[in-house]
Amino acid sequence: MTSSSPSSSDTEFADPDTISEPLQSQLESMNLSGGVTNGSLREEPPSPTSSGYDGGGASEDEIREASVDADTASQHEAAWLPGKRHVHEDDASISWRKRKKHFFILSNSGKPIYSRYGDEHKLAGFSATLQAIISFVENGGDRVNLVKAGIHQVVFLVKGPIYLVCISCTDETYDFLRGQLDLLYGQMILILTKSIDRCFEKNAKFDMTPLLGGTDAVFSSLVHSFSWNPATFLHAYTCLPLQYALRQAAGTILQDICASGVLFSLLMCRHKVISLAGAQKASLHPDDLLLFSNFVMSSESFRTSESFSPICLPRYNPQAFLHAYVHFFDDDTYVMLLTTRSDAFYHLKDCRIRIEAVLLKSNILGMVQRSIAEGGMRVEDLPIDRRQKPSSTNNQGQDTAVGTGGPFGLWHFIYRSIYLDQYVSSEFSPPVTSHRQQKSLYRAYQKLYASMHEKGLGPHKTQYRRDENYTLLCWVTPDFELYAAFDPLADKAMAIKMCNQVCQRVKDVENEVFLQGASPFSW
Amino acid sequence: MGCAASLPDRNSGTLSGLNSSENAVPSDAKNLRVKLVLLGDSGVGKSCIVLRFVRGQFDATSKVTVGASFLSQTIALQDSTTVKFEIWDTAGQERYSALAPLYYRGAGVAVIVYDITSPESFKKAQYWVKELQKHGSPDIVMALVGNKADLHEKREVATEDGMELAEKNGMFFIETSAKTADNINQLFEEIGKRLPRPPSS
Repeated sequence: MTSSSPSSSDTEFADPDTISEPLQSQLESMNLSGGVTNGSLREEPPSPTSSGYDGGGASEDEIREASVDADTASQHEAAWLPGKRHVHEDDASISWRKRKKHFFILSNSGKPIYSRYGDEHKLAGFSATLQAIISFVENGGDRVNLVKAGIHQVVFLVKGPIYLVCISCTDETYDFLRGQLDLLYGQMILILTKSIDRCFEKNAKFDMTPLLGGTDAVFSSLVHSFSWNPATFLHAYTCLPLQYALRQAAGTILQDICASGVLFSLLMCRHKVISLAGAQKASLHPDDLLLFSNFVMSSESFRTSESFSPICLPRYNPQAFLHAYVHFFDDDTYVMLLTTRSDAFYHLKDCRIRIEAVLLKSNILGMVQRSIAEGGMRVEDLPIDRRQKPSSTNNQGQDTAVGTGGPFGLWHFIYRSIYLDQYVSSEFSPPVTSHRQQKSLYRAYQKLYASMHEKGLGPHKTQYRRDENYTLLCWVTPDFELYAAFDPLADKAMAIKMCNQVCQRVKDVENEVFLQGASPFSW
Repeated sequence: MGCAASLPDRNSGTLSGLNSSENAVPSDAKNLRVKLVLLGDSGVGKSCIVLRFVRGQFDATSKVTVGASFLSQTIALQDSTTVKFEIWDTAGQERYSALAPLYYRGAGVAVIVYDITSPESFKKAQYWVKELQKHGSPDIVMALVGNKADLHEKREVATEDGMELAEKNGMFFIETSAKTADNINQLFEEIGKRLPRPPSS
């Protein structure tokens, strides 16, 4: 898999002194500078309504977060409640103005299509204002990408007749907010295909909201995943840890099924992949996988009985519908079979029965439940190399006392295999336990990711940064990327050693944490 | 039906619909097998009717159907015939309406559902009646169902209106409540009785 480099020294960090430490200023300067419009709106406050947009310091979603903070780390993804909240609000509500992050979809005639908070129909005036800003700049032969107004950023994305806007004071980078708008657009395409554009060609005043009826939960679940699912910024997927032989057994039957004319067959556990296969030359993008599993996981009706539904994979082919057969074997494990044939239901049903037989024979469903209960990789389980004593007086980090994360102050890591398009992340351990802390760590990773992938300045190989919250280490090679978070007081030399150990550990268990070989992404 | 044109099956005359006939036991005089499709506006309670009939459950929290769900249930009639219903519970959302032919083509039974508290849904039911008369198979058994009959204090569609629509179109009419289970089994039994019997050998 990733370890194509023959020399073991390739997987060792260079001497700590060569690591480019003072990258903070570089990071700050690149934040949000990319893609800013040259138009006249650059530094202008957005003043979307006559009374402006209130900065406010209120929490993004106070009610939910207050209850989530008490939750344990393993439940962070389950904290989302289906459906839209705060529907009674509109742009005149103080509470609406204080929300930290808004998402809007509107048509190029200014008609609202989706709003994260509040009733779309009541936001018609606000949508019209957003549309006016976009078309004002477009009329000048330019394009508005970002408007900064105090602590707020207003990010715009134009996709033909569809406009997407994010208004945020979450301190995320422009690139990520834009990436989130891209995913939001992709989710809409998944439901309707890009042929929706034609409706606007026929009738510019076309009202799209009825076509998205009943999909609030799909969008709100996606928006929630921006704060907990690393797949939304890594553009990679993750697997449920499982014995190699079991994953192989599942993979073999999925491949057989693809050989019988099924385009993609996927066996999933919640948002994680157990195994997947694709027809020859068909390739599934990790973003499509993310959007499709979000769609299935957030639509309750899939759990009631087997379903057959048209869906579109925006990266595979944004113009056409595929037909998806979805069946839940239990609360967590489900199969998704995709075909181009609208009359294939009974064939897909037969395929599911064949898959089910294999799952029962190998007790895969039982092992999946066990894997869920046991969780994934843990920083506490990493071996401590006793030969390496930190030279500093900071002894705090080397003890693995309960509640302080892994050895030498390692709190969390994400390892992304470039070749496999997959990542593995450690379970959250104390002290990073609350949803709020996890969200903040992901945002720190996002900034790290952005600075490593910044066009023009990168690619960088290593980065070490320390602030009052974390010590962050990032290491990028042609094979993998490692993002690791340590105690802010962690010893740098020890942190580097730990990163090597993490990589070693991932290689040791790669057959259990990654889907090997069968990846259709590499075809 | 804004994006109807984008659906791949529209206008494709060769579409066979969803029929399992090749690989299943054929009907005989004593054991009938029939494809049943439920149509109607979103939120009228199609899924609730099916789940009440198939599993005896009722869940008040609304779960929007995506595409179509497939369930089956077998009942025994008084004349000792058994009827296996293969039920397509279609989504009422507008974006799926262009897909409906896929489900009603080849169906032996169509159940058109409206909500007695919603005149809008009754209008939609009239649309489906017309649609099926134009494009459904000629010998299809059609039933018109006014659901949510337990909400009589909020009733906005008179029973007589339902009866009239049904009579004019040769349909069987019944008012049901998936919530209280009123008339749910009766609906399916009545359909079973009306099914054409294959000639016994």
